[in-house]
Amino acid sequence: MEPLSSFFAVSVILLGIGIYGLTTKRNAIRILFSVELIYNAANLNIIAFARLRNPPIVTGQVLVLFTIALAAMEAAVGLSIIILISRLNAEIDLSKLSKLKG
Amino acid sequence: MTDLLFLAFAAVTIGAAILAIEARDLVYGAAALGIAFLGVAGLFFLLDAAYVGWFQIAVYIGAVVVLILFTVMLVGPKMGETPLGLKRVSLLAAILVSLLLGMTGALANATAFPGQDSCGSGCDLYLLSTSLLKNYGVQLEFMSLVMAAAVIGALVLSKTDRGQ
Repeated sequence: MEPLSSFFAVSVILLGIGIYGLTTKRNAIRILFSVELIYNAANLNIIAFARLRNPPIVTGQVLVLFTIALAAMEAAVGLSIIILISRLNAEIDLSKLSKLKG
Repeated sequence: MTDLLFLAFAAVTIGAAILAIEARDLVYGAAALGIAFLGVAGLFFLLDAAYVGWFQIAVYIGAVVVLILFTVMLVGPKMGETPLGLKRVSLLAAILVSLLLGMTGALANATAFPGQDSCGSGCDLYLLSTSLLKNYGVQLEFMSLVMAAAVIGALVLSKTDRGQ
């Protein structure tokens, strides 16, 4: 069995890739990709940390089940917003959208 | 054996995540995102969280990636791909943030969490389902309520007004 810190390392790398995508990309769908990667980094972190307790508890796994369901809902709402944006505008470049500006 | 499996899953996850962000075509990006989700599910299996791994495969690859592919088809794959001038600065910022977070994690692992891997036979499906339904039943029902609200919201958002 690998030590748990290597799982934390994978999680941190995934988080870094997600932050890189969030800061450099302007396509709304790619930003959604980055958000999903960050969700996965958090889930991996929670599952790895849930193994540290003695006696073991499964609350971490329950929490990750809730998180996965929430991420799926967030993807559904976000993608419907993207479809709405693409219907209202010619493009989904987030740096050029100003319809909601007050 | 598990070391090799861990290395394989970690390499697949990280490589596919980079490809998902950097691939030219959004369709290839969505496929790479699905492969990254599969790698994370493999890591869940290695952590003895088999049910969460299957849940991850079912929800992420079965629902989210398919949803993303449908949206890419509806929106069109070539939309909104303008390059940004700040790329190098942002890469530096991402590396710095990851280094900081990694140092924090190493510090926490070294001092506050001396225990290692005490799961053993405790992480099975019986314990998970008992905890989910007995201790977190109310939260589960709230989650289904939020899910219904999200589905209705998505339907309302993407509804077309053909009648008017």
